[in-house]
Amino acid sequence: MTVRIRFFARFRELLGTDIVVDAKEGTVLSGLVKDVAGKNKEGYDAIFDEKGIFREFVIIMQNGKRVETTAAAMTRVADGDEIAVFPPVAGG
Amino acid sequence: MIAIQARDVDIGKLIAGAKKQGTGAIVVFDGIVRDDDIREMELEAYGEVAVPELEKIASEAKETYNLLSVDIIHRIGRLAIGENILVIVVGARHRQEAYEGSRFIIEAIKAGVPIWKKELRRDGDRWVPGEHRHGSGQKS
Repeated sequence: MTVRIRFFARFRELLGTDIVVDAKEGTVLSGLVKDVAGKNKEGYDAIFDEKGIFREFVIIMQNGKRVETTAAAMTRVADGDEIAVFPPVAGG
Repeated sequence: MIAIQARDVDIGKLIAGAKKQGTGAIVVFDGIVRDDDIREMELEAYGEVAVPELEKIASEAKETYNLLSVDIIHRIGRLAIGENILVIVVGARHRQEAYEGSRFIIEAIKAGVPIWKKELRRDGDRWVPGEHRHGSGQKS
């Protein structure tokens, strides 16, 4: 199945954006983000701590809806999903 | 009008459009690029989520503060010192509602709309840190 990952702000600079991934059935959110972020150490370290846990400020969305980072290991992705990963917002 | 756009905003036109029947007060918030020893500011948005979020904030503000009109235009792209970043125009029957509604909108944008700012500084670039509690699904 095909899943699209979009990183924003600093994460985008480190990891790129609009990344299309061919994911296996049963893939969970945290695993997907780890795989993609793992291609760049600085990008991975910006999102995950030394234990491989999402840093506390990281925000994840699945099809525009926020997903708790603590639930990302139990949240499966589906074909056609758009996953967004970004740091705290700073508009205005 | 609710929009995220690169082009500048015609504030006068927005004010004229906000003068509806019954309007007694219009409050304009204009956030601009401040000269904090920077060259320029670069703004980025997750537009597909940010625009519906702005629409939701506008609806909530209208309902809560009895606003007669709300316009929110947030700019993206590269902006020079002194340029408009965010323009909020609210119209209401009375000044108190207009001031409070405007304040509600700017604070809600800062708390939760996916937009980011990068300062292009003379001594190196820097992403403006956002406020957060954590990324576990609760709004900051």
